[in-house]
Amino acid sequence: MYGVPLRSLGELERAALDVLWAATEPLSVRDIHTALALDRDLAYTTVMTVLDRMAKKDLVTRSREGRAFVYRAAGTRAAMTADLMRDALAEFSVDDRGTALVAFVTEAGEEEREALRRALAALEDQP
Amino acid sequence: MTPVVLALLAVLLSGAVPPGLARVGVLHRAPRAALVLWQAIALAAVLAALGASLSLVTSALNPGAGLSLHPGPWRSVVATIALAVTALVIGRLLLTAHLVGTRTRTRRRQHRDLVDLLASRADPDTPELGGSDLRIIEHGAPLAYCLPAVRRHRLVLSEAALDLLAPDELEAVLAHERAHLRARHDLVLEAFTVLHQAFPAVVSSSAALEQVRLLVEMLADDDARRRTGAKPLGRALATVAAGPEQLGALAAGGFAVVARVERLRDDRSHRVLAATLYAGAAAVLAVPTVLVALPWLLSLW
Repeated sequence: MYGVPLRSLGELERAALDVLWAATEPLSVRDIHTALALDRDLAYTTVMTVLDRMAKKDLVTRSREGRAFVYRAAGTRAAMTADLMRDALAEFSVDDRGTALVAFVTEAGEEEREALRRALAALEDQP
Repeated sequence: MTPVVLALLAVLLSGAVPPGLARVGVLHRAPRAALVLWQAIALAAVLAALGASLSLVTSALNPGAGLSLHPGPWRSVVATIALAVTALVIGRLLLTAHLVGTRTRTRRRQHRDLVDLLASRADPDTPELGGSDLRIIEHGAPLAYCLPAVRRHRLVLSEAALDLLAPDELEAVLAHERAHLRARHDLVLEAFTVLHQAFPAVVSSSAALEQVRLLVEMLADDDARRRTGAKPLGRALATVAAGPEQLGALAAGGFAVVARVERLRDDRSHRVLAATLYAGAAAVLAVPTVLVALPWLLSLW
């Protein structure tokens, strides 16, 4: 981890996930390193560290296959994105609203929609 | 008398005034001044609460201060209890501020890391979507939100928002979110969240937090309106609030968005109203200080 700036760590995580999403089966560190080192100069141990970090953050799951550890993505890109958006929407819900995320506007309720339509119509009618 | 007056003032300012003030819709015409007034009321309430318990300490210890207690051990008991209450109020505030702050920053960092992993950067061919802080996420509902931070803040748009919003509407959304990021409105929200969570609901009404939420949105709306005009902003608000086209999941929202769109019809500047609110804010802080706290502090000399 030392000597690797955080920015490129984030980029490596992104690249590693891309490799895992494209794969049809779990990959070893060696597989992932081979794929990632194609277009950059990259140490095997760096890939190991990155995958370890990602496993701790539940971005990938690790299991043992024979003598080697293999990794797979925690979910498809779509599933992970859906989880993240569910998380965001929960933050916007009226009850336990935090201040971590600041929404432009949250979804309107049924009664609100009619009032909203009238308000917008009045605005549009203005010269 | 001083402790009683200050305690009453604290309860009044934190519990009784906010629900009434929240119903004064005219405040929405001058959101910046209204926000200052809400902040003055909150600060005055905290100062009054601390002043109440501290003045009880001094009047219990000072025989001439008019507290009708017989001399003797009772005075020091009352003084000790009052001091403990002061420490409790301060400690509770600091602890809540720490917990809310830590939770907010942790959630924000985790969310930002995931956004950076899962979202794509804006298309460099569309300069109106410029900005290295902008992320586009694949999602079927129109969403727009920001993750404030000193460094590495993010502005997140869903693909559905890009599809449903016209270019000038999109510009309004971005201007609105950038106003939040620039002015760090989240810090105001965080302070009011701390106050609301630190004290029991009886004395700290949620009305203040809700109004402050609405007022910072209106402030950001004003920024966007200056940039794009009222109509694109109004349409953008309606489109995003309508949610996904086919899912139709009904959120239990309040009428905040309606109030935001309604006030867009009014583009006059309300200088007199703003000046009145600023004067009110100054009075809320100055009057108790001059009439109650100052005589008490002078009596200690």
